[in-house]
Amino acid sequence: MEEQRCAIEMRGITKTFGSVVANKNVDLNVRQGEILALLGENGSGKTTLMNMLSGIYKPDSGSILVDGTPVSIHSPEDSKRLGIGMVHQHFKLVDVFSAADNIWLGDEKSGPVLHKDRYKIIADMARKFGFAIDPKKKVYNMAVSEKQTLEIIKVLYYGAKIIILDEPTAVLTVQETQKLFDVLRRMKQEGHAIIIITHKLNEVLEISDRVAILRKGEYIGTVDTAATNEQELTEFMVGRKVDLNIQRPHVETTRPLLEIRDLSIRNDEGAVAIDQVSFYIRGGEILGVAGIAGCGQKELCEAIAGLRPIEKGQMIHKGDNIVGLSPKAILEKGISMSFIPEDRLGMGLAPSLSITDNMLLKNYREAPGLFVDRKAGRADAEQIIRDLEIVTPSTETPVRRLSGGNVQKVLLGREIKAGPNVIVTAYPVRGLDINSSYAIYDILNQQKQDGVGILFVGEDLDVMIGLCDKIMVLCHGKVMGVVHAHKTSKEELGLMMTGALDLSHKYEDKPSGIARDSQFQEGEEKG
Amino acid sequence: MDTMNVVTLFLFNIVLCNIPLLYGTVGEILTEKAGSLNLGVEGTMAVGAIFGYLAGCAANSLLVGLLVSFLAAGLCGLLFALLTVTFQANQNVTGLTITTFGLGLYFFVGKGIGENWPAMTGVPALVNGFANLEIPGLFQIPVLGKALFGQNALVYLGILVAALVWLYLNCTKTGLRLRAVGENPGAADSVGVNITLYKYVHLAAGSGIMGLGGFYMALYMSGSFEGSNCWINGYGWIAIALVIFANWNPLLAILGTLVFGFFNTLKIYSGALAAAFPDGLGWLNAVPPQLFKALPFLITAIVLVASSVRAREGSGQPAALGLNYFREER
Amino acid sequence: MNIRVVKREGAGMGRQIGAYVAAVAAALVVGAVLLAIQGVEPLAFYQRMLTLGIPGNKYPFRILENFIKLFVPLLIVSTALALAFKMRFWNIGGEGQFILGAICASAVGLKLGESLPRPAVLLVMALCGLLGGGLYGVFVAALKVKWGTNETLLTLMLNYIALYFLQFFAETKGDWNFFLDPASARPKFIKFPVNAQMLTIPLGPFNLNLSLVAAGVICALIFVYLKHTKGGYEIAVVGDSPSTARYAGMPVGKIVVRTIFLSAALIGLAGAFYVSSAGTLSASVTNDVGWTGIVVAWLAKLNTAGIVLASLLITVLQFGCQSASTTYPSIDANFANLLQGVILFAVLAADFFTRFKLVKQSKEVA
Repeated sequence: MEEQRCAIEMRGITKTFGSVVANKNVDLNVRQGEILALLGENGSGKTTLMNMLSGIYKPDSGSILVDGTPVSIHSPEDSKRLGIGMVHQHFKLVDVFSAADNIWLGDEKSGPVLHKDRYKIIADMARKFGFAIDPKKKVYNMAVSEKQTLEIIKVLYYGAKIIILDEPTAVLTVQETQKLFDVLRRMKQEGHAIIIITHKLNEVLEISDRVAILRKGEYIGTVDTAATNEQELTEFMVGRKVDLNIQRPHVETTRPLLEIRDLSIRNDEGAVAIDQVSFYIRGGEILGVAGIAGCGQKELCEAIAGLRPIEKGQMIHKGDNIVGLSPKAILEKGISMSFIPEDRLGMGLAPSLSITDNMLLKNYREAPGLFVDRKAGRADAEQIIRDLEIVTPSTETPVRRLSGGNVQKVLLGREIKAGPNVIVTAYPVRGLDINSSYAIYDILNQQKQDGVGILFVGEDLDVMIGLCDKIMVLCHGKVMGVVHAHKTSKEELGLMMTGALDLSHKYEDKPSGIARDSQFQEGEEKG
Repeated sequence: MDTMNVVTLFLFNIVLCNIPLLYGTVGEILTEKAGSLNLGVEGTMAVGAIFGYLAGCAANSLLVGLLVSFLAAGLCGLLFALLTVTFQANQNVTGLTITTFGLGLYFFVGKGIGENWPAMTGVPALVNGFANLEIPGLFQIPVLGKALFGQNALVYLGILVAALVWLYLNCTKTGLRLRAVGENPGAADSVGVNITLYKYVHLAAGSGIMGLGGFYMALYMSGSFEGSNCWINGYGWIAIALVIFANWNPLLAILGTLVFGFFNTLKIYSGALAAAFPDGLGWLNAVPPQLFKALPFLITAIVLVASSVRAREGSGQPAALGLNYFREER
Repeated sequence: MNIRVVKREGAGMGRQIGAYVAAVAAALVVGAVLLAIQGVEPLAFYQRMLTLGIPGNKYPFRILENFIKLFVPLLIVSTALALAFKMRFWNIGGEGQFILGAICASAVGLKLGESLPRPAVLLVMALCGLLGGGLYGVFVAALKVKWGTNETLLTLMLNYIALYFLQFFAETKGDWNFFLDPASARPKFIKFPVNAQMLTIPLGPFNLNLSLVAAGVICALIFVYLKHTKGGYEIAVVGDSPSTARYAGMPVGKIVVRTIFLSAALIGLAGAFYVSSAGTLSASVTNDVGWTGIVVAWLAKLNTAGIVLASLLITVLQFGCQSASTTYPSIDANFANLLQGVILFAVLAADFFTRFKLVKQSKEVA
């Protein structure tokens, strides 16, 4: 029986934000010395549930038991005292502090005075757990994996017996993920209870002992990992068998609409984000862009939209160089860019403004005279609400009040309404449920059939293989190759994303990324 | 006048007249390190000044005066904390309102007391408390000794407070946590630092320190209340400028006080200095005194622009300055 | 008991207005207590304050004319500041921009007042006020756009630089200094020639100050500008999300610079109106309108119609306290500031209850 004692038990937890139910009557338990995977799609309430353990949120109702004793967690402080530690997806680190000071912040053992020996104490302690860190290194100088290591050391230092990791592998390479899993296994052996939030099935099967599944905020059940498989977990997660056969209509392609040649871009920190990249998009095809978060997708999208200066290279649209044009001029050429950032609202929409006003964002200048034509905007808003089945009280509702899926429909709806000939879209289904996602795929396919060239930056490889015609893989800003979606596999893409496989020089008879029927003549090049 | 005496007197007055700036600045540094931009320094100092002075007179005690000025100004800090931390109000607006309110209260109380206004000369404890103390040994240093080591006790207290706040921020764990609150409250919160408590305590304490500066100002002005001009006379605003000039470092604030004080005092002494050194400093007569008054602000404006032109490397400005923290934000 | 704070999904108009009325009432109650402590009959004082001391005065219309002289600058400055705040640009440099506008307008008023016809002089003064204030503000906007300079602190510094600049003119006697009255031994600002004084429209015994009409027109124009024009739309988008504005192809820098120029220029214009209404420059020309304007803009939630109401309320408080304090010598005219502070504190606190709500824990969380 001793083994069966639960480190944590959550009973009947409900949490709402305004009218949105994030968790509904959820039960969850995790035993000592076990790794529990918490599985669910984006937006299924995993993080919210865990934040109630870490003291960020308080449940509306339900009870939490630690080691069999009912507790109430009002703050992160309470949570820490109960031996619960959480590694958040967005690291909670003070950039200007050293590694040691970030840990020392929450330290309760030492006296009130800061001594130099804290660096040694932290380094020794980290070594004990099998990590090597430089305690004096400032966080702003750290790589992502270093920051994550620091977060884990921090949690361990505070003596956490229950460790929660929120999507820890999202920012890691395959090798770094393996290292992390080794650490988790070791901690499990030492008797820690571990909850790992993820939506990657292969990782669930690899690392966990049991899997708890959430769907749309509701608790579906817990299964032993050994007794399940990907198919079953997917069913639990999405509620019905996923027909991953996304439609891929065949369309006659045109000559290249957008050609990128030897493009190099720097990121905000001044490091090279995109390194001599060449590729092209034809009308009537969807080119996928795959890569680990931060491999340069964002910078690429911004550069095409004219929002980021380019270091060198060319961007040719229908034979015209668009380098150096203003975002407005690029817009007028019919290139649309929509980027769904992690907070969903950061770029592309003005959250406090109404749907009507957001519809006007790119075409308000077209109205004659000084005034904004809200009538036209309202008509557009009404039309996309009808066409895309957007759920909203009215056209005058601020976009901020809509749910995630509806926000994205507004954004994409506006982009398509403008009738572009090139669509650059990044993470258009981020955080959407299955049905909304399919609605978005349908929209994109419709555009493709109308002869639009689409650059689709995605996260989910299954989706990309199903939807795209070709997939370009980026790794640290370099192109690892462009493959035909129907000929490739997730394994191949995964290898390319981590840089283990480079197919960029696969075809020796033509330079990679340059179309034979280019609309771009060297003679036209100026300067 | 003896030329050496002019220099000594000039240096002496740089310190004597401008120590309230140091109190105000150190108080504001403590506040801003907690991530809150309190533009209410002027009003807070005024409240500390008037209540501290009246209590000090009533009790015939310097200590009571100090204590009450600290507490009264601290209450302003608590009010600022209540509005911005608990009620999530905009910090700029709240700070400016503290100034409006504080000055209103200052004049209301002062005018209300009217003819019963206590003169400082009738309060020996305050007169003695503000008397100059000569530090044996150091006082004998030529020129500088008299200027720097013959000041009153509150001057030394101000420098002590600045040094203590520096030690607190850089060498204690609570100081470390406080800086984390100002840099990244989410991070501090996640490791169990009670953001609300830290903000309340340090905003109140910071305002309290500003209040001490106000009390100093009251004593310096001999507690003579005029219906039109507040004792603080814009020092609160200069203090906000000085925080930037000192790069949020209390020790640099001491230096900054002397630099700003130099210009502040030069406007009064330019005539005497020009008379004492007609060859070297005669040109001082030609400089309008308003320029000396404006210089601290001009310098700060230049520092502000220059530091924004260079990237944020090495700046002591807390990253979350002026932003309210709401834990359940999503 | 457990109480949690939850964000509210948009508040009703009624709740908003209720909260504001409650805030003003609370401030008056606090004020009444303070007045009673001073031994002043609160109701009598308030009556005197709210009637602006008009009843029983020999020249009631003169009082109204003076009231308007205070009301107009506050109204224009608040409207102008709201324009900047809408864009999340913290222009707290109203004082400085007002002073610059006032100085520039005075300079041309004194130089041209004798040689040009009255409407022309007034027009040139207004233009110079616009330019003076506008340029003083726009340079901060440019720095902010170029290097991200903190505009809150920079405009704060510029206020004092402008103030001492004005003091320099106010206190320095010299042949060059045409701002001062050569006849006076002590430095004293000279009275403007008649042609540089604001026109009034006589309505019986009451002379309607033309600047009030101008201020009304400006408010209406700004209202329309914000609500219906492309420029106003751009301000809304830039204020809400600069990255979205850039993404939509808006020249964000240009919009910020343009809007801040407009904001600062209007404040300068208010300065010009004020000096020509007063007929002279003065060292305390602003009456703290740059600060009070921030309070008003915030009280009104940056809403143009609300600004008219709020600036009226604040002017009544200030003007009323001024005149009531002549009757009650133990009460300082700054009592208005105190009330104003309490009102804003109450409103800021009340805002919280319109933006958030407290929820009692429905079930015990064990």
